Amino acid sequence: MSASLLNLSNVSAAYGKIEAVRQVSLEMQPGSIVTVIGANGAGKTTLLNAIMGVQPATGDMYFAGEDLSQMQIEARVANGLCLVPERRELFSSMSVEDNLILGAYRLGARAIATGLEEVFGRFARLKERRRQIAGTLSGGERQMLAMGRALMGQPRLLMLDEPSLGLAPRIVKDIFTIITDLRSSGVSILLVEQNARAALHVADYAYVMELGEITMQGHASQLSADPRVMESYLGLGGHG
Amino acid sequence: MNTTISLFLLQDGVINGAIYALLGVTLVLIFAVTRVIFVPQGELAAWGALTLAAFEAGHVPGTAPLLVLLGLCCVFSDMLRQRRGLNGKWFIERGLRDIAGPLALWALCIWLAPQKPALWLSVALTVSLIIPMGPMIYRLAFAPIADASVLTLFIAAIGVHFAFTGTGLLFFGAEGSRTTAFIAGVFPIGVLMVKGQSLVVLGLTIVSLIGLYIFFDKTLRGKALRATAVNRLGARLVGIPTQSTGRFAFALGAGLAALSGTMIGSLTTISYDSGFIISLKGFVAAIAAGLASYPLTVLAALGVGILESFSAFFASAFKEVIVFSLIIPMLVWRSLVVRHSDEEDE
Repeated sequence: MSASLLNLSNVSAAYGKIEAVRQVSLEMQPGSIVTVIGANGAGKTTLLNAIMGVQPATGDMYFAGEDLSQMQIEARVANGLCLVPERRELFSSMSVEDNLILGAYRLGARAIATGLEEVFGRFARLKERRRQIAGTLSGGERQMLAMGRALMGQPRLLMLDEPSLGLAPRIVKDIFTIITDLRSSGVSILLVEQNARAALHVADYAYVMELGEITMQGHASQLSADPRVMESYLGLGGHG
Repeated sequence: MNTTISLFLLQDGVINGAIYALLGVTLVLIFAVTRVIFVPQGELAAWGALTLAAFEAGHVPGTAPLLVLLGLCCVFSDMLRQRRGLNGKWFIERGLRDIAGPLALWALCIWLAPQKPALWLSVALTVSLIIPMGPMIYRLAFAPIADASVLTLFIAAIGVHFAFTGTGLLFFGAEGSRTTAFIAGVFPIGVLMVKGQSLVVLGLTIVSLIGLYIFFDKTLRGKALRATAVNRLGARLVGIPTQSTGRFAFALGAGLAALSGTMIGSLTTISYDSGFIISLKGFVAAIAAGLASYPLTVLAALGVGILESFSAFFASAFKEVIVFSLIIPMLVWRSLVVRHSDEEDE
């Protein structure tokens, strides 16, 4: 238990009277990619927001042994949690480079310099467009910028909410390549996706969420072979 | 009316406009970062003028004990809110920052005021007495409701405005004061006789605006303020503490208001309640620019100043009416031209 990076037990979160996340328990090991798959409206985004502190939640949440429940967003960021939200939440009227610099706001000048070098190494497109205003980027570039900005903060756990949403298939492939690359450089990733096939392909462990609850879990390879998952999420119905 | 008169009116208009520009830009800045429409800005400007006048007269300004009072209020309200985690260290930290600091400034004023300090020192003291008031106001009135709607924040701001008008009367008395000009004397430029003070006002405003531009464009702190203004959630997600950003914006706003106050003092008589009308003109300019654009605010403020000085010449009784009526066509124009965006949408 103590070795796990993230440990949720019986976490619930509600919008008014509507409970979007119910009694969710989830555990992830350092250095792994864990994915939460499920249909639109299953509560995946709410779950990530609850972990980040954007959405109030009840239940126990521990990150690297530290209790998250009393922490503000800022403190969670300082502890190494980082969320790349579905809407990216970029600073759209500022330049690409300024967006990245602000990603390392709390770390100081030296971290900004090394961070920029690393992010520009990983995302060559961002380097080409460093002076461009973030709001004028294409969808794929915006996602890269959001991930780059997140990496600037040197997170221990990167939470990605629908990173492939609205992107062309070729760019989706790039994004998932980057996700596996990141894991090999030591960043743990909690990935929320509707694109279950791609998510299960890169993940080590997976949870299936339906109507706010975890209904299945297991190693990603096992789950992708499970007939129920194949039918509901991989579009292979009729065979199982 | 001949060219000379219009040039004189233009000069007056530009000088007043420069002050409105500084106030308007401050309003835009504070609104962008915290979504607060900073109504009590006018009081801070008036206090700036009155503080400077007190130093010139050799009195200890009312701002000094007022700052101590505000500090006490802050510690008290934090104490009520915090409850848990109150310990010796907390009291020492807060006590040093919110009470001992203001007390030290007060002592400095008591020591320096009778000696009638040099002008630059008086201005520096005035600004440093008023700057800490900004973050204190933010902590007292706005930080606890930072996530409330713009309307709620606006109502709180009006509350602070009324409270400040009252405290202003209590601490400064009812009579108005004037300060001497920064630079006495008049310089002939062509047919125009340019007052030294006009040059000071224009110069200080331009320097402040350039300073703000550099701050927002080049420094990390400035970028963080802009980021908070552009996208609050995005800013929180990268770990920019929006509360301290808000306090910083208020400190900057209070400093600029105080600086404008020290400049107005020699142009017109200022009493405890004259700040509101002055900052309202800055507000007209800020509104004309949609509470969003700094350069447009400056332009609009110059327009407001010039309109005001010309209407003072042609119909002096209606001077204020004409300036404030300007806001109606502005709003109509904006609502027709600008794509409507709902702030609660974000």
